[in-house]
Amino acid sequence: MFGWDAFKQYFNAWETSTAKVVEAWMKSPLVLEPAGAWLTAMMKTKAAADKGAAAAWGLVGLPTKRDQERTLHALNQIQSRLMDLEEQLASLKSESNQ
Amino acid sequence: MIDRIFTLARRFTKPMPRVGVTPATVVHAENKWRLLHYDRRPQGLAHKTPVVLVPSLINRHYVLDLMPEKSFVEWLVAQGHDVYCIDWGTPTDEDRFVTFEDIADRYIGRAIRAACKRSGAQKAHVLGYCLGGTLALIHAAIRPQHVASLTLLATPVGFHDDGMLSRWTRTRSFDTGALIEAMGNVPWQLMQSTFQMLRPTMTAAKTVSMLDRAWDDEFLDGFLALETWGQDNVSFPGASYRTYIDELYRGDALVNDRFKLGANAVHLSEVRCPTLVVTFENDAIVPWPSAAVVMEKIASRDKHRLHLPGGHVGAVVSKKAAKGLWPAMAKFWADREA
Repeated sequence: MFGWDAFKQYFNAWETSTAKVVEAWMKSPLVLEPAGAWLTAMMKTKAAADKGAAAAWGLVGLPTKRDQERTLHALNQIQSRLMDLEEQLASLKSESNQ
Repeated sequence: MIDRIFTLARRFTKPMPRVGVTPATVVHAENKWRLLHYDRRPQGLAHKTPVVLVPSLINRHYVLDLMPEKSFVEWLVAQGHDVYCIDWGTPTDEDRFVTFEDIADRYIGRAIRAACKRSGAQKAHVLGYCLGGTLALIHAAIRPQHVASLTLLATPVGFHDDGMLSRWTRTRSFDTGALIEAMGNVPWQLMQSTFQMLRPTMTAAKTVSMLDRAWDDEFLDGFLALETWGQDNVSFPGASYRTYIDELYRGDALVNDRFKLGANAVHLSEVRCPTLVVTFENDAIVPWPSAAVVMEKIASRDKHRLHLPGGHVGAVVSKKAAKGLWPAMAKFWADREA
């Protein structure tokens, strides 16, 4: 048991001090700026590739993934608007009944 | 050490603890979100005003109903509260266009109205947890009609702090537009890795903690339930993420009184309902000053702040919470029946 307790004590001390150092390092602009730039570059590359693929789909007259997303979103919006109207109608009905 | 590893390994041969099991009925469904109404206790309600729980968008709602005997929802129901909870569901590709306005105004508004209608009440107590609190606060500022009181649990309101998340989102080279354009919804894996950056040694610390209590089944069940929840994350709808990062994190627009929700300007000074703000001393995700700042901004005369030890999640689901935090929130509501 002593072995485990000693290990845990050393581990906790190591973990606390390491976490502090790593946190300070991770919060540094020297780490965050390159990480942000790398992520942005990756995303721009992916967006460009997707745009190329969508253009190819478009050329053969097929709807792109974005077109389908827009259509489905519009359907969801219509559903929500219908629910808004149902609520308004219900409230008007209850007002006229009073 | 070896016997601890074997004991722990044996635990993993048993089924994982069941999470989010308090019985509930779906009383409204719209797009991907649902409103859950938890079954009332058999002896009837002790409080008429319903309680609507608004969890964070990027985590599952069942953190508030973790597992039997460690569930805030189960406890509230047992106290005679009429409890509703929003389950945001899982956004799919088309939800990249879902805006902050859709969520904070339309969806939360509908959830509160549906709860009031079902419970036969004019108003509901609204509790928002983490980002859910930010959304509930914005809603209460522009649509106060059905809000009996507001409880903000570890809710970020001021976003310019020294925390890791604040610094990362304000990094100049990080382009939210490029991220949304490429990914649509922001993948939960990306957000998860950002949270892991908050304490990269956390996985090792958790492993040692499990080994340390390898014989404590109750601890392990709670630990595994929380881990199940922690790994079960949800992607962030793209358009909403853009508002969240660009306007709230980068512009600190709520505190600076510059936030707009569609055509509506959101002024925190319009919040006049009774408000309870809960902050946690060791919260690494929402540092307590960024949650406490709301106290200075809202116009409520009946406003209180409860500052407790503990972290962002542990302090909400722990045994200690069942004795301190949960009764404090329940009393706040009971004293303010609409």
